[in-house]
Amino acid sequence: MLRKIFAYVVGVIFFFPIYFLITSSFKNNIDIFALPPKLFFFDIDFSIYEKVFFFSDIFEDNFFSSRIIDSLIIGIGSASLTLIIAIYSGYCLSRISFSYRKFFILGILSARMMPLMAITIPIYFLYAKLNLIDTYTGIILVHTFINLPLAVLLLKSFFDEIPKQIDENAFIDGASRLKIIHKIIIPSAKNGLAVTFILSFIFSWTEFICALMIGQMNIKTVPVQASILKTIPSWDYMAAFTTISIIPVFIMILLVKNHFVRGLTLGSIKE
Amino acid sequence: MDSKKSYSLPGGFINSDSSLPWLLPLITMLVVFAIIPFFYNIYLSFHEFVPAKRALLFVGWDNWIRLFTDEVFWGSLKVSLYYTFMCLAIQLVLGMGIALLIDSDDPGFGIIRSILTLTLVIPPAIAGMIFLIMEDANYGLITWGLKSMGLIGQEDTILADPTLALWGVMLVDIWQWTPFMVLILVAGLRSLPSEPFESAMIDGARPFQVFRRLTLPMLHKVIAVAVLIRGIDLWRMVDYVFVLTSGGPGTSTYTLSLYAWQRFTFVQWGYGATISLFSLIVILIVGNAFIHFAKVKW
Repeated sequence: MLRKIFAYVVGVIFFFPIYFLITSSFKNNIDIFALPPKLFFFDIDFSIYEKVFFFSDIFEDNFFSSRIIDSLIIGIGSASLTLIIAIYSGYCLSRISFSYRKFFILGILSARMMPLMAITIPIYFLYAKLNLIDTYTGIILVHTFINLPLAVLLLKSFFDEIPKQIDENAFIDGASRLKIIHKIIIPSAKNGLAVTFILSFIFSWTEFICALMIGQMNIKTVPVQASILKTIPSWDYMAAFTTISIIPVFIMILLVKNHFVRGLTLGSIKE
Repeated sequence: MDSKKSYSLPGGFINSDSSLPWLLPLITMLVVFAIIPFFYNIYLSFHEFVPAKRALLFVGWDNWIRLFTDEVFWGSLKVSLYYTFMCLAIQLVLGMGIALLIDSDDPGFGIIRSILTLTLVIPPAIAGMIFLIMEDANYGLITWGLKSMGLIGQEDTILADPTLALWGVMLVDIWQWTPFMVLILVAGLRSLPSEPFESAMIDGARPFQVFRRLTLPMLHKVIAVAVLIRGIDLWRMVDYVFVLTSGGPGTSTYTLSLYAWQRFTFVQWGYGATISLFSLIVILIVGNAFIHFAKVKW
């Protein structure tokens, strides 16, 4: 019992900043900054949401929807591209043995280690030549690269669980590798594909520094916009904006929470 | 596997047993976004943008000499190291404690695990914003709390104080990423076999002994993976300092990545690339050595 109380205290402590953010979005400006803090008893005031959703006196009127749409396009685009590339390479790493496979996997892990700053500075110059600065394509490609190590190794771990016997039998029946992937591997690893897609989407949604550097005037993802709002005294606005943008992610992650640890550890620890 | 060659299949490239066609898209991405940037960073580290001539000019070893004589660089290296190791240690110990606390079949603990999952998917820049408000000098909840408990003086601030600012940043990291350790360690604890623990109980071992002699050694793989991934992300962290302090006050919270970014925005492209190349080489060597010596396998 004592243990349970301690555990709940820990839960409350970790939940507190989220609670603080969400409640700030429907407090009025005086209550947000009241000290001692008004944690439970405050006037509920949804007026800021009207501003966020419809128009605002601070920003141009399509401000809210355009930021969310930017993030959605980049997130869905890069998660889809990541998934497509990862299916074939994950299958290959799981099924086809080749020399230097170990080194190849170390190479993938090394790509995961790269400080994003070491990627973005050169990529900025490369993109400047290719006219990819401030384009969706540009950010989608970088995010795809960032998510690929996780996606490939995670899918490989899911593919490893499908008995090899199944594809060997299909092989004998004359199925091509492409057919095996499409007819056997993909349907039997549906969970793995869903988890990979959702995690890639989330890590693209939360990525900050590349999106900041490559998106300039026209494209700003949610975290980039949030970091800009800090220079304006508009905490209520920022709270409402970020609350709306993180709730969908919360729902998505709770759908796949049983595979979350496996995703975080790039497929090496199973639950 | 060895009988593969005997399958006679039509269609060469796409059916091939060769790995190359399947890996080609991945290899292309790795070449474009990892290998080309790596060499381009090396190229940049020997060049510098000269505003008077509006061009990148070859400067030899100047950037590297500047790097090793630059006090701000040494300062930011120290901050990066301190940040990485302190956060790693705190998150590991705290995470282990919480993991042992909530490692239970009781469904009541499931909701705590769900809550801990939520902190991990908040964009770090937004987590930084939440703490920026909570650590605000005048209206911040945490500042107010520390003042009322007498831990800091009435006039003190967190983020504007050279000694406290880094801890203000680390607090966000610890809040957001301790759950990462917890979830991984709980998964590890849940997968341990129960027999050794039962026999240790019968032999009358004390809980601490059981933890040291049984739990820790059996968890070593899980801990190694968690430390590796967390260590990588701590080393390259830039979002929190960017949002919370932008490196200040002075240069007291510059990490390597932030310093590189700052040089880049000051159009010292060559020097910025040199700093980020340095941090890249360090993490590649340390990371791969860790994988090798800790015997982490994928």
